[in-house]
Amino acid sequence: MRLPLRAAPLVLVLGLGLTACGGDDSPADSAGPTTDGDAVAITVTRKGDDFTPNGERVELGVDQTLTLTIDADQAGELHVHSTPEQEIEYDAGTSEHELTIDRPGVVEVESHEPDVVLLQLEVR
Amino acid sequence: MGDPLPRSIPGSISAHGLGGAKDLPIPSELAIAGAVAALVISFTVLAVAWREPRYDAATSGRPAPEWLDRLVSSRALAVAGRVFGMVVLLYVGAAAVFGKDSLINPFLGTFYVLLWVGLVPASLLLGPFFKAISPARTISMLFARVSGVPDGEGLRPYPERLGYWPAALALFAFVWLELVYPSSTALGPVRLWCAAYLGIMLIGSAVWGTTFLARADPFEVYSSLVAKLSIWGRREGRLVLRSPLANLDTLVARPGLVAVVGVLFGSTAFDSFRESTPWLKLVQSLSTTRMLPDTLALVVFSLGVALILTVATMATGVTSDTPRRALPSLFAHSVVPIIVGYVTAHYLTYLVEYGQRTVIQLSDPFSRGDDFLGTADLQVDYWLSTHPTFLAVTKVVAVALGHVVGVVAAHDRAIKLLPRRHQLTGQLPLLVAMVGFTVGGLYLLFAA
Repeated sequence: MRLPLRAAPLVLVLGLGLTACGGDDSPADSAGPTTDGDAVAITVTRKGDDFTPNGERVELGVDQTLTLTIDADQAGELHVHSTPEQEIEYDAGTSEHELTIDRPGVVEVESHEPDVVLLQLEVR
Repeated sequence: MGDPLPRSIPGSISAHGLGGAKDLPIPSELAIAGAVAALVISFTVLAVAWREPRYDAATSGRPAPEWLDRLVSSRALAVAGRVFGMVVLLYVGAAAVFGKDSLINPFLGTFYVLLWVGLVPASLLLGPFFKAISPARTISMLFARVSGVPDGEGLRPYPERLGYWPAALALFAFVWLELVYPSSTALGPVRLWCAAYLGIMLIGSAVWGTTFLARADPFEVYSSLVAKLSIWGRREGRLVLRSPLANLDTLVARPGLVAVVGVLFGSTAFDSFRESTPWLKLVQSLSTTRMLPDTLALVVFSLGVALILTVATMATGVTSDTPRRALPSLFAHSVVPIIVGYVTAHYLTYLVEYGQRTVIQLSDPFSRGDDFLGTADLQVDYWLSTHPTFLAVTKVVAVALGHVVGVVAAHDRAIKLLPRRHQLTGQLPLLVAMVGFTVGGLYLLFAA
């Protein structure tokens, strides 16, 4: 595989380089998905304009329930970029929300103002 | 406890770009199979393909039947195409000006999906499709007629030195708006972009004639480039039917063609890359907005493709007839099929599913509940999304097919241009670069 590697475009170099150095900044304990029976559970925390997790990939089944526990110091809303889009409003404090996606695809869960992608749900 | 069920919100404004869910990554086995296929195909072509150039614009192509030529060249069809383009412009323009600033405004879907993505299949099937309907061309022809200027001429001849450079810039301006600019789905900025585009095209064509549109209009250049992979060609004014490979060979190399190819391929690769988890995490951990790093990455991807192509085509022995620096443009045509294959892989679902949504929205341009076209009550068919394996296989086949056509096109050009003793070795660097493009593209489809 020497030939293609040597010639692989910047695309590849950049992609690989970033994979190598980008994977270690997510506080796994607060955000990591846990599977409880049929549902996947995720905790989202918001402190001011800081969110965790930061763009984490989570595997989810079609029609499987994602339980989002949102721990926020102020109210806001999350946009779920499924087709059609969905919206989750949350209040300050801890609240629990459920989400299902009915079609395979990658669905981003994003906060607006500030714009931060919290999760990329890989639905299959 | 907040409300447990998320609400469905049709058409809210978001900084996300058009469209909801994205495609799943392709499975690793398929990506590897595609990469291996690309390698094998490449060296097989090198080993067994013909040794005498086969394609020649002056002789290639079978004359089309008389009636077909008459129909295609008819004034009625030309006028119909122009009227169609103007009607769409005015209809969608009305939505852009008087419609709501919302994602259900069909202006956005028409611009980003039906026009930008749709022009690829349209040009593959119909030839230089956008040129035939281009409102910029229609208006400039009308202006010329009113002011009594001879058809197609401007104040002065278009400087051939500029070649496709204006189109490369305009294409970059488009992909930047679509992929980098945070308000890419707000009505105002997109309307402004379109107004600037029309303004520049009209002024340019007044100064340099319609040649300017063929070299600077991003949509016309893109469409005419893809049209070289259709079966439609012209020889001495006659309509001929050519194989896509023979047709591709008739693409005239001009300055800036390498840059055009670089922006088209680089931006599509960037579109995958910007959604990838590592890049997303990186730009979101910076204190600035992602506009600056995204712009930089888009430039790096576009320049990277152009640079790789330049270096790979120049790394060969040459004859005295063809200077080394002419080679990148002369070989740039061979990247066009790779672009088309990759764009197909990347935007197929988007075109099919968001395209349907746009057609539905087009019935209600002002978001008042109108049903002007009778499409408002149709439902989007998500068959493609719900068959991810079929989709992934289609993507890899499209990429591999684009790769074969590209490699064969480059091979034929190499044996035409390169000195006999460099014909084999001279092709190698470009071959390696093309395998790199294809494998890189597959890697991004797999990883992002």
